[in-house]
Formats: sequence, C-alpha cells, structure tokens
Amino acid sequence: MRSLGRLSTTIPLVLSTILIPLTVALAFWWTPEDFDQGLSQKIFYFHVPIALTSYVAFAFGAFSAAMYLWKRTEVWDLRSYVGVHSGTIWGTLVLLTGPIWAKASWGVWWNWGDRQINVFLILFLYYCAYFMLRFSLDEGERRRSASAVFALLGVGLIPLSFLAVRIAQTLIHPVVFTSDGAAMPNSFLLTFVVGFAGMLSLMVLLISTEMRGKRTAARVLQLQRVARGEDA
Amino acid sequence: MIPAALAIARVKFVLELRRREVIFAMLLFIAATIVIVHFALSGDTGAGSRAAAGMLWAAVVFTAVLGLLRTFAAEQEEGALDALLLAPIDRAAIWIGAALAQFGFLVVVEVVAVPVWWVLFFQAGGPSIGTVVVALLLANVGIALVGTLAAALALGARTRDVLLPVLVLPLVIPIVLAGVTATYGAFGEEVGGFRPLGFLALYDLVFAALAWGTSEHLLGD
Repeated sequence: MRSLGRLSTTIPLVLSTILIPLTVALAFWWTPEDFDQGLSQKIFYFHVPIALTSYVAFAFGAFSAAMYLWKRTEVWDLRSYVGVHSGTIWGTLVLLTGPIWAKASWGVWWNWGDRQINVFLILFLYYCAYFMLRFSLDEGERRRSASAVFALLGVGLIPLSFLAVRIAQTLIHPVVFTSDGAAMPNSFLLTFVVGFAGMLSLMVLLISTEMRGKRTAARVLQLQRVARGEDA
Repeated sequence: MIPAALAIARVKFVLELRRREVIFAMLLFIAATIVIVHFALSGDTGAGSRAAAGMLWAAVVFTAVLGLLRTFAAEQEEGALDALLLAPIDRAAIWIGAALAQFGFLVVVEVVAVPVWWVLFFQAGGPSIGTVVVALLLANVGIALVGTLAAALALGARTRDVLLPVLVLPLVIPIVLAGVTATYGAFGEEVGGFRPLGFLALYDLVFAALAWGTSEHLLGD
C-alpha cells in the first residue's frame, strides 16, 4: 500500500516533468505558426489541456462523491474534496488564460457568445460555492454527505448548462464561433495531445500529493490525541 | 410518501396564513427588484423592450432565494425537524413537501407580480403571455426543487443565510437562460419558444431525479 502511494506520486511527477517542457518545446519550435492567429495560437496547447484537465478533476470529485455516498468511507470524501479543490484551482487558470487568448484572437477579453467559456463560468461559480458549503459545516458525517451531494449535483449542471447556453445562442444571437471547422494539422494535434497528457499527469500529481498531505495531517492529529491519552 | 409530503406542504401554508412572514416579504422584494433593475438599466427597459422582458427573470430568481431562506426555518426554530426526521416517513417526503410549499409561494407571488410587470412595461407588443406563464410554471418547479435541496444541504451550516444564495444562484443560471430565451422567442410575431420550454421541463426532470436519488443523505442524521 505504501509503495503504491509512493508510485502514485512518482510516476506523474516524472511524466509531468518531461511532458510539460516538451509541450513548450513542441509548441514553439516544431509546430508551424498558425496562418490566421499567428503566435497567439500557441496558448491553445496550454489553455485547452488545462480546461479539459479541470473537467477531469471535477469529474473525479463527483465520482468520488458518489462513491462516498455508496461506501461511506472517509477516504472517498477526501478524494472528492481534493478533486473539486484541484479542479477549482485549474479553473482559475482557465479563466485567466481564456481571456488572454480571446483578446489576442477576437480582440475582446471576454466573449459572451462563446459557449465553452460561459458554461465553464457557471460551473466554476458552482464549484466555488462547494467550499463555502463545506467549510461552514462542522466536520463530521453531516458535512461529508452534504459536500458529496453538492459535488454530485454538478454532474447534472454541466450538460444542462451546455444545452441552455446553446438554446439561448440560437435564439438570442447567431452563433459566431462554431466548432473548429478546419481540421488540425498533425503537428498541432500531436502537440495538443502531449500538452494534455502533461497537464493530466500534473493534475494526478497534485491530487495524490494533496491526498497524502491530508492523510498525514489526519494521522498526526490522531497520534497527538493518543499522546495526550485521549483515546487509543 | 405523497400524503406525508402533502401534509408537510399544508403545514407550511397554514403557518404562512397565520404568520404572514414570507409571501408579503417576497412581494415587496420583487417589486423593489423590478424597480431597481429598471433604473439600473435605465433607458434599456422602456415599454415593450426585451430588457424589460428579461428583468422579470432576474427578479423572480432573487425573490425565490428570499423565500427559500425561510424553508425549514420554522422547523428548526421550534425543534420540529428532529421530530420530522424521526417520523416513520420517507426522507424524500420532507423535501418534496417543502418544495411544494415553495412552488406555491412562488405562484402566489407571480400571480400578483406578473400582471403588474405587464402593465408597467408592455400593455401592447409584449411577449405572448401564454408562453411566459408556462415558462414561469416550469421554472418555478425547477427553482423550488434545487432551492429546497440547497436549503436542506445548508441546514446545519453556521452561515446558512449567506450560504444559501451562493449555493442556489449558480444552479438556477440555466433556468434564467432558458426562461429569458422562451420569453424573447415569444415576442410579437416570433415563434420558437418551444425548445426552451422543453429544456425547462428537462431541467426539472434531471434535478428531480438527482434530488430523489440523494434525498436520504440530505437532512442529516
């Protein structure tokens, strides 16, 4: 168990140390400059993988929440919290890199007509509220189930937001930016995949490191109680 | 379970009839919100404008949150919640009963507020009122469902009153989007309000299912 715990940080550590610099190298020295967007298109290899990875983290959080409600073991509650936590941190990055790209390619910092970023904003607001809920409840069974139910409801919110934004767009304003359109050249696609793999391994590293930290903290608390003779 | 839910909803209505603490507050609140949004968008919410149509949705959502703050409040203050939890009824009944009451409060408020809004901003050339009414009814179901759910989650929280709006508002953004779209789609000659209405029904179903599935974990032990 202990060696498995160590592997779950070592492997992603090695992978992300290799893959993320590799993405930078590929993006700037190997892929050709985008005909339309020029240099600013390079942020695509970072912004989009970060966004997808934060969806993965939220999904992990929601999955762990469901597992908690089913199994009722504390570790699933911790996993769910850490998943939502990492997803929110990366979500902040998405909301920072998105406007940079938008400004460079569309000339505006924020485009209310863009579907992805609007859905992401709703989801981000939703999962930020998760922390308010979690930290205003006292530690214990009640907090664990309330957090789990809230994390799980996000699974319903994502597709519904996509649908609502799409329906609103077709009626209120015409869709300006449709999906990619032109197919990506192979070098673009490969760099993107490397970038995504790098971000994913960094996420796994963060999640497993935070999990280890939380577990160690819990163990220390327990040992302190034992040392004080409060319980065994 | 249905009789238990109906009984809980009835208690809430009787309480409201005797104490009159929620609906009047909601009415005053929705009136003030409409006036504030109108002045905040000054110039854009003239008679017959789309912004005037959209602002109804902002007002409804904020007013609903105000009402939700009192869900379970009476039970909690009088200690009836423990009795309810101990009662041999399905946990879901408590939540469905509260949602029914919330739905009823919203309908009462809208019966007064929507005609006033209509007279103030439209008189002629507004969206088709039938579509707006159907959209509001479907939206009320969704708001009552997710709102009661969030109220149940926030029940034991230290900062319950601050927390609840933060939990509810992101959840109802899709409702506002679809409601506004339905309203815009029903303006004058335009048709096409059916997809957002269908969406609202879908939203209600999805969250009813999610809430149902998690209801045994909702109110604590």
